[in-house]
Amino acid sequence: MITCARVRVLLEAYVDGDMAAADAARVRAHLSTCADCRRQHDQAISLPFRLRALSSPAPRPSLVGEVMQAVGAERAGYSSSWTLLVPETVLAAFILWYLSGLDGLSSIASGVFGDLLSLGSGSLPHVPPVDVVLLVALIALMVVAAFHLSILVRLTPRVAHE
Amino acid sequence: MNERWVWPLLIAGLAVLGVVLAVADISIATRWPTPFSDALVGPKYGTVQAVPLRFDRTGVSEKFIFASPVAGFGPLSPYLALRAFLTNGAGLVLLAISALLAFPSRARNAVERLEAGHGAEIALGAGLVMVLLTLAATTLLRFTLLFLAAVPLVLLVALVAALFGIACISLAIGRLLHRRFKLPAVHPLVAALAGSLVVFDLAVIPYAGVFALAAVAMAGLGLAVVTRFGSSGGWTFVDLNF
Repeated sequence: MITCARVRVLLEAYVDGDMAAADAARVRAHLSTCADCRRQHDQAISLPFRLRALSSPAPRPSLVGEVMQAVGAERAGYSSSWTLLVPETVLAAFILWYLSGLDGLSSIASGVFGDLLSLGSGSLPHVPPVDVVLLVALIALMVVAAFHLSILVRLTPRVAHE
Repeated sequence: MNERWVWPLLIAGLAVLGVVLAVADISIATRWPTPFSDALVGPKYGTVQAVPLRFDRTGVSEKFIFASPVAGFGPLSPYLALRAFLTNGAGLVLLAISALLAFPSRARNAVERLEAGHGAEIALGAGLVMVLLTLAATTLLRFTLLFLAAVPLVLLVALVAALFGIACISLAIGRLLHRRFKLPAVHPLVAALAGSLVVFDLAVIPYAGVFALAAVAMAGLGLAVVTRFGSSGGWTFVDLNF
């Protein structure tokens, strides 16, 4: 007959399944008759208890340095993200100059809805002529702006909940 | 003072402040006209007759005009200011609360990111970049025949995004008022109502109002974009990696 003290010693190996079948059967038989040992067993198989039993790994010596480097990189990313406003402003100014200022821009914008309505009447709308320099500048501005947005999206803090 | 009156009094005060600022906006615009003077406060007293009569049968706006006590400024027109509040102000409040009612969890995600470190600056910067991107994209699309029809769609998406962002900013301002002035707890929609009134008040500041509203709209657009309309997952392309 196995004693309570012996069962307490074997309990951890029993819970881990790291025990010979005959020993495990003896522990199982004891647990079916002993309320105290059964309570110990129930506690041993509970998740918080088992988590507490795990040993915490020692942090790497470089951990603090890596965290500080990551934080520093984020700060640097935050400040450097604003420098992209410079090429964007230059490109926007160039495009505005090329379109003869806001008047040109508004003349480009005006007539869009009229042109769309003319599609319904069966006539093709008038497409303003454009040269490659302006198209390249527009596409360059879009690419820089999209890249800038991707940086700002990464800098935006996440939320922890669903 | 009983705590339950704090929020109603704050909201009433913000509404009155909005009307007073609109009165000042109308009066000052007569002395130093701006191209945006009618954008928020509507047509001035002298142009009311041009409005079709079926929208203004009483002509009250012509009767409630008072001379300005300060020489050189235009007349004071509290009726027109009230009209501005009941049109633009009420529209802003209605849209903000509707957006929060329709997308509460997305609004919460967006507001939490706005309230986090550098959230406001990032939203404003992203909004500025989005304006440039939208202008470049619509101009590019204007030079095509096939994608001409996409121009109104692009502008509509930008408008919806900005409205969603303004609604979130209104809620954030309401929460800021609650924290900063240690106001009693209140329903979040009431806080959003107060926040949207603050946005309206900013918009009717003489001269600076249009620029303040543009900044809020840009920040709202940027907030909607960087949070992908308040999506909890944000911008992730995991689903494409299969």
